[in-house]
Amino acid sequence: MSQDIFPPRVRRWLFTTNHKEVGILYLVTALFFFVAAGLLAVTMRTQLSVPDNHVLTETLYNQFVTVHGLLMIFWVLSPFAFGFANYIIPLQIGARDLAFPRLNAMSYWFYLFSGVAIIMSFIFGAPDLGWTLYSPQTAFQFAPSIGLNVGAAALILITVSITMSSVNFLVTMFKMRAPGMKLRNMPVFPWAILVTIFMMLYAFPSFLAAVLLLYVDRAFGTFYFSSLQGGALLWDNVFWFFGHPEVYIVLFPAIGLIADVIPTFSRRPLYGSKYVIGSMIAAAVISFIVWGHHMFVTGIGLTSTKLYTVTTIAVSLPFDVMVIAMIETLTKARVKLKAAALFALGAIALFVIGGITGVYLASVALDHALRGTYFVVAHFHYIMVGGSIMGLIAGLYYWFPKFTGRMYNETVAKIHFIVSFIGFNILYFPMFLLLDMPRRIQTYAPDTGWGSLNSLATFGGFIFGGAQVLLFVNIFLSQRRGPPSGPNPWDGWTLEWSLPSPPPAHDFDKIPSIAEDGTYHFGTSAGLPHGAGYPNGSKIGDGYLHSHFEGLSPWPIVVAFAAFIFFLGLTIGQPSSPTTPVTFQPFWPLILDGAILGVIVLYGYSREKFSVHEESHVESWPFREVPNVKLGIWTFLGAEVIFFGVLIGAYFFVRTNSPIWPEVGSLFDIRNGFAMTLVLLTSSLTAIMALVSAKVGSRNGLIVSLIATFGLGISFLYIKATEWVYLGSHGVFSVAYGLPATSYFITTGTHGVHVFAGMLMTLYLLVNTLKGRYLKGDHQAIEHFGLYWHFVDIVWVFLFPLFYLI
Amino acid sequence: MAVSNTQVIFDNLYGIFTDLAIVVGVIVFALMAYLIIRYRSKKSSSDPEDTPRLGRIPTARGHGRNVLITVTLSTFLLAVLIITSFAAVDTLFPNTPPNATWCYGIAAYNQTQATGQSCPRLDVTGHQFYWVFRYPNNHTYTNFFRVPVDTTVVLDVTSADVFHDFGIIQFKIKTDAIHGRTNTIWFIPYTPGNYTIQCFELCGTGHVGMIATLAVMNVTAFQNWYGSAK
Repeated sequence: MSQDIFPPRVRRWLFTTNHKEVGILYLVTALFFFVAAGLLAVTMRTQLSVPDNHVLTETLYNQFVTVHGLLMIFWVLSPFAFGFANYIIPLQIGARDLAFPRLNAMSYWFYLFSGVAIIMSFIFGAPDLGWTLYSPQTAFQFAPSIGLNVGAAALILITVSITMSSVNFLVTMFKMRAPGMKLRNMPVFPWAILVTIFMMLYAFPSFLAAVLLLYVDRAFGTFYFSSLQGGALLWDNVFWFFGHPEVYIVLFPAIGLIADVIPTFSRRPLYGSKYVIGSMIAAAVISFIVWGHHMFVTGIGLTSTKLYTVTTIAVSLPFDVMVIAMIETLTKARVKLKAAALFALGAIALFVIGGITGVYLASVALDHALRGTYFVVAHFHYIMVGGSIMGLIAGLYYWFPKFTGRMYNETVAKIHFIVSFIGFNILYFPMFLLLDMPRRIQTYAPDTGWGSLNSLATFGGFIFGGAQVLLFVNIFLSQRRGPPSGPNPWDGWTLEWSLPSPPPAHDFDKIPSIAEDGTYHFGTSAGLPHGAGYPNGSKIGDGYLHSHFEGLSPWPIVVAFAAFIFFLGLTIGQPSSPTTPVTFQPFWPLILDGAILGVIVLYGYSREKFSVHEESHVESWPFREVPNVKLGIWTFLGAEVIFFGVLIGAYFFVRTNSPIWPEVGSLFDIRNGFAMTLVLLTSSLTAIMALVSAKVGSRNGLIVSLIATFGLGISFLYIKATEWVYLGSHGVFSVAYGLPATSYFITTGTHGVHVFAGMLMTLYLLVNTLKGRYLKGDHQAIEHFGLYWHFVDIVWVFLFPLFYLI
Repeated sequence: MAVSNTQVIFDNLYGIFTDLAIVVGVIVFALMAYLIIRYRSKKSSSDPEDTPRLGRIPTARGHGRNVLITVTLSTFLLAVLIITSFAAVDTLFPNTPPNATWCYGIAAYNQTQATGQSCPRLDVTGHQFYWVFRYPNNHTYTNFFRVPVDTTVVLDVTSADVFHDFGIIQFKIKTDAIHGRTNTIWFIPYTPGNYTIQCFELCGTGHVGMIATLAVMNVTAFQNWYGSAK
């Protein structure tokens, strides 16, 4: 593909793989969505300002409520934080980039296109049932709008983005720290991101599975979520298993950067930093066992609600430690109240209020009154806006000089803080007092008495929203004509401040190392590697752009675009029948376009010569012996375990809730299942033989093993297909075939797609083998394929008994 | 004014939480404000001795002892909240609602069931976008129902379609209305008057108008109405 059709400046931003530029792209895009979602919020506040108001129709109001929530949670809070993470973390841990730069760029483009999709959903009638997408209202008969399908596609795309990104960060932080940069030596911000990505890895697969089931329900007429046995509570469980960790996923990065900002501006080390980090880990673990508190009034039983009350109240303890540590940091300090410090301290104060009111909601007794009211709205906005957004704005002021090399206007920034802080409290505090008012209602009657508090909140909303104009004007003007900042305007002590502002393209001339006594040494370790993505000594600017190797790749954006087209095609079809619109007919032309483009670009991607150098002298505990790619695959497979775990869990859920279930062998033929198991287990053996052949350098052995693996995989898919066709011709593959068939088709179908992907990989490996690769100690690709393949086989070992034997 | 037992229980518990919240909040904010003012940077002040410098890892600071004290104190406070919450929830949501003699209001007119046996129940069903109330005598009413004062009222709440949430606003009680499930709540109204029921889960366009009225009546007035109702 020719890269010369774009002017250099445009090309640089479209094709960049540099972590700093990708970070800036993330930040700018997140701020754009912040404004978009903020405008939705301001419109809603206007609608609610007086009783019986009709600025917005109810449908439009419900759409705004939903898209505002989705945008802020998925497209603003996390990407805002990961913009910082992209830019800053490699600098703070002494790496030159993320482990997989092109994957990182791809994560960004998936994020951008998913955002385009969610905004596009307005064209088709945006989702209008709240960001929680409760079942069974998502079923086709209640929500016939295509907009919800487009929303589901957007959510799938952003989940893909987040999964790629978390694998990338995990490998980077475990494998690419500068020599002597022990995990315990990392600043709190990278720690917070590390804990966040662990939560992402184990929470988002659950969400992906939920959205996938939802999509299949809507597109193919299965009924996981519209059935009595699955339905509402299945969605509740699967969604909130993801949903509560998600709250901390959007919060922790802000807490982490506050924990670095407050010490810098109070000139003392963080009080009890190891306890802060320990608390984060504890809170992250507990976050996976508190989801029931979102279901207190669904009738999950007294004992369960009590259990969740205890876990939820207990999760406040680690946050207690974090807050106290930050406050104690100020003792005997020298507190410089710059804008970043003001926002950080303000965020802590607001977070304390959000945290205390969270304890109210943890109490099952109080929740019977407070559930679904504005008290809840007030509580989580104190956490997400007060804690997260205010904290992230602190980060924006803190690192602005590093990003641009210029200072922002301090006075304007301080006014921005004061107006924001006051506006925030006028906006959200009245909502605590509106503890009788249902959330997500478009209007209310005058005799409810809710009018004056709502007017006050709207007034505060305009103040808070207006204050953000100061932020945008300040950063826009200052990045052009602010005074030069120098490398370290705040006298900070983390590694990023040792570099010029902005840092050169390759970050470090010499990778720093940290001695046993905690002092940094620059220039003692190996110099700039060749082929690390950037030429020696290059700078951002003309020299960098015109250099021979630019670190640019056109493929990430095109891969993301292909996926975007593909998923759009899956979602925006016509109803299959105009009279009884039960299912959608996907829009095949777009799907095919996307698939073909996808195959072409994946081929181009894999052919591109883009070597990423692995530093030889780096700190990589606890994965010293594991190469980057392998660790990435392990991490990815960890997420896959959760994904299949949720699918199998959903199957168990509907099965235990169904009064009748077909007898063993009556629906699915045991002999088919047995044959497929045999075939797949044999293919694991041939995959091992392929690796052994590659290791001993036997080309023929490798070719035969790969062909055998491929053949066995095809056999598996063939048996599977005949089984599907047989079931279909006997009327099982129709709309009304029941939950046994629904769960069977979805679970084995998803597994079948994994087998199919494995087939494509073996073909790719086969082609390269014929060209003579993999034989001279370069067998890693075979090994990585093997890991994936064994995992797919193990999944089948679980599915076989579940569907055929019990 | 107490309007129902559930509202009294809520107000008491909410009061305990709020008292503790204010105490904790005041301590935390006072400490924060004091430290910021006391140690704010002045022209004359210089950096503390242990200010970290660029070029080395910051020295560790802080005592495990203080963390332990904080956690212990908080645990104590939280234990109080857990215990009081459990007491409230045990009263409000036992596995079987109380039957006993309180049931006279409706049971007396439930001809199929003798007084003093298990409480008669009203079935409540949420629809897009209205509530249907069914009495033991199978009379149904849309968007309003009546109960006698000082009586245990038991409601079995479900939904005919999507996810709703049934909440009696002034009584501070609610439960989800879910298709295929029945959730039970009960309360004792203390004061005659009209109370508002609203759906608390966004259930589609029309959700905003999913409002019903509960009329709490004197026992004799209720008995007359219930006896004469067709």
